Amino acid sequence: MTKEEQLSIINDAIQNAKYNLKPLGFNFIFWGVLIISMSLFQYFFHQIVQFSYYSSTIYWVLFPLLGIVYTTYYNIKTRKTIGYETILGRVIKIIWGVFSFSWIGIIIISLLNNVNPVQNILFVLGMTLMMSGLIIKFNKITLGGLLLIIFTVYTYFVPDLNFLLVNVVGITFGMLIPGFALYLQKKDE
Amino acid sequence: MNKEIEKLLFNPLRLKIVSFLMTVETCNFKALIDVTNATKGNLSTQLKNLNDKGLIKIDKYFQKSYPTTDYSITSEGKKQFEIFFLQLQSYKTYVKKN
Repeated sequence: MTKEEQLSIINDAIQNAKYNLKPLGFNFIFWGVLIISMSLFQYFFHQIVQFSYYSSTIYWVLFPLLGIVYTTYYNIKTRKTIGYETILGRVIKIIWGVFSFSWIGIIIISLLNNVNPVQNILFVLGMTLMMSGLIIKFNKITLGGLLLIIFTVYTYFVPDLNFLLVNVVGITFGMLIPGFALYLQKKDE
Repeated sequence: MNKEIEKLLFNPLRLKIVSFLMTVETCNFKALIDVTNATKGNLSTQLKNLNDKGLIKIDKYFQKSYPTTDYSITSEGKKQFEIFFLQLQSYKTYVKKN
């Protein structure tokens, strides 16, 4: 075997280990649809969701927790089907794992201080999206994260905003649209 | 570079396995078959050889009662592959210059 052949074998093997972008796109779409649906449901049927003092909190903790369980199951199953985990995939997994812990932390702190967690969650979400976009070199995700951060900062200066509608607008542009772009992307990283 | 390791990586299948494992965290047997196009028997033999020399790590465990095996590169494997790759790169540079 010549040196050129050896280099060619190494190159081919590296090319085989591509990070599959589709599952990440699916995760974004799933969370986008879930959060937007929940926000719209509460907006139109607030008498159901807000029937007691804690019902809204339970609503916003229970369904996302079920979402975490489902996406964790989906990601484990996908990893088994693909058969390998790239270093890039591991980095993305860690980033979103840390985001999940941050989300739980923000919810607890907000409950203790009796403040609305939406803005803080959207801000951290924007940061996480931007990081993911930069790492996988996918500009639409980076831009979505940046837009979400700018939008969240803007909401801090506008009083009396309906946070459910803030959620819908922020998640649509920050997560849902970039998620579809990623899901339909043909090239892997 | 250790002559024994150089000889080990001179085999195309072993080089394919190590190169692929350099770019992934872990992988299973099926993924290695897909990447290398090798037969199960040959792949198993070469994986055992690489494991015996400490270049790769084999983790066997049960998942929902099914035996599962994960393969990953060891830090020694990474080090040896980097030396091997640098030698190839310097050869390429030498050829380009002359």
